Amino acid sequence: MEKISELKWYSLSLPLCVVVCLLPFWTGPYYLQVFTIAFYYVVLASSWNLIAGYTGQFSLAHHAFAAIGGYTSALLVTLFGLPIWMGILAALLSSTLMGFILGVLCLRMRAIYLAIATWAFAESVRIFLSMTYKITRGDLGLAVPKIFLGTGRAVACYYLFLGLAAVTILVIFLINRSKMGYYIRAIRNDEMVARVMGIHATRWKIFSFSISSGIAGIAGAFYGHYNGLLTPVMVDFNEMAFIIIMVVIGGIRSIAGPVVGAIFIEILTETFREFGEIRMVVFALAVIAIARLYHEGAMGVVRRLALWISSRKQSREGVT
Amino acid sequence: MDRTNNSLLCTENLTKDFGKLRAVDNLSLSLEEGEIRGLIGPNGSGKTTLMNLISGIYKPTNGGVYFSGKRIDRLSPESITHQGIMRTFQVARLFGDMTVLENMLIPAFTQGTGKREASHRAKELLDFSLLGRLTHEPARNLSGGQCMLLQIVRGFMRQPLRLYLLDEPFAGVHPTIKDVMIRTVQKMNREEGVTFLVVSHELTVVRRLCTRISVLHGGRLISEGTMKEVANDPRVIDSYLGG
Repeated sequence: MEKISELKWYSLSLPLCVVVCLLPFWTGPYYLQVFTIAFYYVVLASSWNLIAGYTGQFSLAHHAFAAIGGYTSALLVTLFGLPIWMGILAALLSSTLMGFILGVLCLRMRAIYLAIATWAFAESVRIFLSMTYKITRGDLGLAVPKIFLGTGRAVACYYLFLGLAAVTILVIFLINRSKMGYYIRAIRNDEMVARVMGIHATRWKIFSFSISSGIAGIAGAFYGHYNGLLTPVMVDFNEMAFIIIMVVIGGIRSIAGPVVGAIFIEILTETFREFGEIRMVVFALAVIAIARLYHEGAMGVVRRLALWISSRKQSREGVT
Repeated sequence: MDRTNNSLLCTENLTKDFGKLRAVDNLSLSLEEGEIRGLIGPNGSGKTTLMNLISGIYKPTNGGVYFSGKRIDRLSPESITHQGIMRTFQVARLFGDMTVLENMLIPAFTQGTGKREASHRAKELLDFSLLGRLTHEPARNLSGGQCMLLQIVRGFMRQPLRLYLLDEPFAGVHPTIKDVMIRTVQKMNREEGVTFLVVSHELTVVRRLCTRISVLHGGRLISEGTMKEVANDPRVIDSYLGG
């Protein structure tokens, strides 16, 4: 048996979903905050997996799109008095548009040049945000109107980000099941053959990049209104490195991988906060080990384990 | 050359240079609708370059490619596919991470066929080509011959398929699979009217499959006709068959 049936996966993940939904009743505000941030990273990691994992386009600008979304919403709400929901909608549009423009400019490039170009774009965004301090307040940070004020804020934000993560996972799941999912996987496998099969490769890469950027933009906007402060640190390369680490450790090219990776890494980061930057070194070593030894990450291990258990069970039933 | 004649495909003074190397030299070739044409020639004679020029992977240095009277050499590979032209590669190129069925569905999806209809045709084709039991197997797990067979069968998912370019489909393939390939090509030619241009070094297979044969040497067309005619052509004997 090569595959674990979908039904089994659903039955395995259902209890986990129940636990996640009921978590606010068992835990305090600190851990709620940790999980809220973890869900933010679930959105970023899952949407980066769409472009890097499924489509095979190694972008290093994903965190920049989150910042573009965050600053767009924050500035529109603070400077023009727009309602927060309109700011978030504008964040979606602006980050999708920027993703589209960058996609048109860069997605014909080969892997290494695409990585360099997107990294250069992200650095430009960071420098731009720092330089335009009269509007963005530069490194001092931009105060952003918060969502859900009051005593139940932590719980409300927890569910908001949980919902955002769930919608993102659902969108990526549906894309993966659609014709587009077939096309982007074909492009990652062999772009020239994909074209010979009639796939407009550049068009689908740009489309995938725009969707991925739009999702990051929404996440950035919600993060800004949750955190109450935005700084150019959001576009530090460390942020991008975090997203890559989460996807690689969780398991690239799987729906569950970035989810598991983001929650696991965020909890570890918080738990070992006292160790400072050494945490990044440990994560980086883990990424090197996975890249060298086992590409499928944690979800690959789970899948193999489930297959092993299933085959043992079958052989035992066969004996008796 | 009159491009409005009955030819399905014709190349007109087609030339392709790679730096100082001329891979295809002033080549004018035409294919009638419904024929199975063999294309032979020694290594480096420009056969694969011609395939790449027809399928839009290369742009010609000079000359043009016409399909049903329409110039196609300026189109992208995907646009050429949408005209009803498919191709295979000398080394089988499948989507290795995808299953055999998923590989089959892609050409049907790109022309707007729904999943149910596409799956039905895929199943029929896979069963006919004896790949049915591998439907849900990742393509990377297939043997070399099975990869080549799947590569050919995948192209038939496009409907209507008007011209199919097969680049060395029989090289290194087990005789049983080779037989399945030949039967599949003949069936699609007979039942769906697909025209084939088959590049091959295997002259016994070419003799069995093709009605006419074109011979390339040094990027030029040196002979054309039935197998008997080209085999007796002194230029062919000199450059290819006679070594």
